[in-house]
Amino acid sequence: MKDKMIIFTCVTTIIGFMIAIQFQTTNEPEYRDTRNIHELRQALAMEKDRQKQLNVEMEKQIDLLYQLQQTEDVESVMGDTIDELRERAGLTEINGQGVIIDISLVFDEDYLGGPIRSIPPYLLRMLVNELNINGAKEIAIGHQRLISTSSIREANGVTLINSARVTQFPLRVRVLSDDPESLHHAIMSSQSREFFSYENFSINSTPINYVSLPAFEKPVRVRHMEIIKEE
Amino acid sequence: MWLPIIGLLVGILLGLFSDFRVPDEYSSYLSIAVLAALDTLFGGIRAHLDKVFEEKVFLTGFFSNIILAAGLAFLGVHLGVDLYLAAVFAFGVRLFHNLALIRRTLLSNWSLKRKNN
Repeated sequence: MKDKMIIFTCVTTIIGFMIAIQFQTTNEPEYRDTRNIHELRQALAMEKDRQKQLNVEMEKQIDLLYQLQQTEDVESVMGDTIDELRERAGLTEINGQGVIIDISLVFDEDYLGGPIRSIPPYLLRMLVNELNINGAKEIAIGHQRLISTSSIREANGVTLINSARVTQFPLRVRVLSDDPESLHHAIMSSQSREFFSYENFSINSTPINYVSLPAFEKPVRVRHMEIIKEE
Repeated sequence: MWLPIIGLLVGILLGLFSDFRVPDEYSSYLSIAVLAALDTLFGGIRAHLDKVFEEKVFLTGFFSNIILAAGLAFLGVHLGVDLYLAAVFAFGVRLFHNLALIRRTLLSNWSLKRKNN
């Protein structure tokens, strides 16, 4: 009888051990925060920035609400708001100080490649990214204004921006910026300039006091977005 | 009577505190081994209640069931057939069967005792 109990005990111990191990294995390892102080500080600074932005935004909205409540003529305030939103969405022509970038073809004497019809989209994307990094506010490539849903892609060997062909040379990129001079220097010393030269393009930028950007002309399709109803 | 339960608790605590982990790809083998072990354990309890318990049968059954189940799972992985389901099914059915028998025996024992009193 005693032997029996000892055997049972051994077996149940083994089973318990196996169950515990299985439980530990299937349990997801808990997420551990491994950031150091510097990274934490950075995250904190980022959150503070965000809070500041949100506060500014809130103040603006409260201001707007106040205006709407005060004025008898609600329509004009709403009209102003719509105009402002249209401008921010890129649906209006806009002008100000900025930079004009001309992209033109350059051929060596011993150029052996075929004809060049348009600028490869990856180069344009690189340029746009670099412009955005260096403080561009609004960008237009050729006659196409770039908005948040703009596309730069290639179809049948031709580059399309906002689904329109971009084949003319020199291609003129117009950029609005608060600090055109530094943007100009950044572009002239940028990496994309080098990459453009590999594909036989040259970039020339000039800061300018007054440049006008066309409006986005196509209908804006809003997908993947829906109205949140107030509870 | 209490010794096996204490053993189970000791095993669980040992497993939890040893911080021992099995690689993810082997966790299915372990789970099926646990199932096989449970099946053998309940079989042993039933045999004990029926008074036909034999240590050798119990111990060999315990280890051979675990090895067979893990081996079947291993073979299944390499053949691309979910053979471990066979083991899960067989052990599951036997587990319930044994449990039902244990319950019946305990119930009949209990009612017998009450009658005698």
